[in-house]
Amino acid sequence: MKDIARQSLSIKVESMDLLNNQIKMEAHASATYLAMASWCDQNGFFTGAKFFYKQAEEEREHMMKIFQFVIDAGGNAISPEIGGISHEYSSIVDIFENALDHEIRVTKSIHNIVMKAREVGDLATERFLDWFVLEQVEEENTIRDILDMIELTGTEGVGLQIIDGKINDWID
Amino acid sequence: MELIHSSNYYAFFQSDKERCFYIDFGQKVVRLSFCQLLALRQKVWAIRIEDHFDGELNAHGFEILALCNKEHLFVLNTLEILDLKELLIGAFSFFDICVPTSTRAQRV
Repeated sequence: MKDIARQSLSIKVESMDLLNNQIKMEAHASATYLAMASWCDQNGFFTGAKFFYKQAEEEREHMMKIFQFVIDAGGNAISPEIGGISHEYSSIVDIFENALDHEIRVTKSIHNIVMKAREVGDLATERFLDWFVLEQVEEENTIRDILDMIELTGTEGVGLQIIDGKINDWID
Repeated sequence: MELIHSSNYYAFFQSDKERCFYIDFGQKVVRLSFCQLLALRQKVWAIRIEDHFDGELNAHGFEILALCNKEHLFVLNTLEILDLKELLIGAFSFFDICVPTSTRAQRV
């Protein structure tokens, strides 16, 4: 008997499920950064807003990269439903701390898929995610550096204005 | 057409010649391509069976399942949904794209 399923799908079906969850997570990250951009814009952090608009676009690109991989592997890529996006932040520090927590959650999720793929011998998924593993190191580092800059600058007096201007250093 | 797996209510077949799958739902037999099979699996997996025991979330304990781009429509009760899940788990375990049960058990 032929294995028609294997002939149709190049990755493990469990990896496909996890990648679909990751698609959802990247979409959620994109929507969250859009909410952060909106907050920044409304509160006078115009460079911060620019930074988060760019981040939102990047997360969507990540989502599309995974989406296309699932399709190319012969799988069923699911367009994600997104809900529960917070628009409430107490300060610019709160925004970047939330962004770092979000990136850490994404990193953990990617590591989990890599480990599961390795466990079941799904080399295609494991190798595909190599790029994401390194990308997450960069993403976390960017937010950490901004938080360090905020701490060094301080939020008193013209500090907030200087912080917003300095965020430009992290916009390519 | 070869029988791959059967459960209490349903049976799962593969046709090498047509390169497709068939599920015998009792009242009718549905032909599925691999993509349609994946879509069915995802729909069935997304059903929260615990909602069937919550009068507010699912008052009647039924699920409406549209298959093969709305070509077929099924209204299934709790037991039928559980049985369909079991059928799909059993059928997928025969494919190389699925993690072997022994590996899954080791992970647990």
